[in-house]
Amino acid sequence: MVDRETGTLWSQVTGRAIDGEHRGAQLQKLEAIETTWKQWREAHPNTRLLKKSEKVRSSHYQTYFDDPEKMGLFRAQWLAERMPGKTLVYGASIGPHAVAVTDGALDDSLVLASLGETPVVMSRARDGGVRAFVARVDGNEIGIQLDVETDEVTDASGSTWDLSSGLCISGPRSGSRLESVAVTPVYWFAWSGFYPNTQVIDR
Amino acid sequence: MKKLIACAVFFGLMAPFPSGAELPEPEVVATIGGEDVYQLLPVGAIPAIDNPKFVSGKKADRQMRAEEPVLGVVIGGEARAYSLWQLDAHEIVNDEIDGSAIAATW
Repeated sequence: MVDRETGTLWSQVTGRAIDGEHRGAQLQKLEAIETTWKQWREAHPNTRLLKKSEKVRSSHYQTYFDDPEKMGLFRAQWLAERMPGKTLVYGASIGPHAVAVTDGALDDSLVLASLGETPVVMSRARDGGVRAFVARVDGNEIGIQLDVETDEVTDASGSTWDLSSGLCISGPRSGSRLESVAVTPVYWFAWSGFYPNTQVIDR
Repeated sequence: MKKLIACAVFFGLMAPFPSGAELPEPEVVATIGGEDVYQLLPVGAIPAIDNPKFVSGKKADRQMRAEEPVLGVVIGGEARAYSLWQLDAHEIVNDEIDGSAIAATW
């Protein structure tokens, strides 16, 4: 990416300025998800949509998405031995620490990861997107887990959490909210190219 | 306006050419940490969307297919979706939500 004001070059994966006046600056990544219109609309009934041309009826890039051999334009470098480059992963990072989680690891389960010293919980939310939160309240790790019988997410205090919103919905911590961590749905070749030291959680 | 710029999401790195298009000869525009950075297209060749306009969900339902992929963000209680099929041709939306400048990127 490039900004028009200074011509600084920015990495779309890391959000960091790689060359130019702002070199070294870091954009804040926001919680944003990728899902289908149907799932998004149901979970967010008041949503608005970027005005769209009626002519747009498919993706230009379907052949690129479908071709396992096409990775970027040229000379991409990534951790090819770990998994195929076109594997879709969900990436999260805090400072230099990064984790990539596969779809399989998120099937009906929570993923717990440590990004440096920070405990992070990742899961698939009601709207179909993948979200991550710092699993701490007031500086204390909360010991979060999924009860597979009831499908409820609880912590060591007996509080119940909604990991679509990060809100505690009942129990001693009711009303608390977990801090969100941005999740990037991304091909493995791109994530591992920019975060060669990334952890991987798969099944 | 708060001087915050935020990168909302990213999915497919460097796929700006529909299949079959000829790649131009790459030009090295910078070398960073010993690695070359190439410029393949002039700035603005894939035009970002500025001053984006939004429609209600009801209106959107008439334009969108159920399985159409979207990028979704919720900021300050406001939910916004961007069709990824539409972003194919633009890749970046310079938007503003709740007083903050955000870039929705694809």
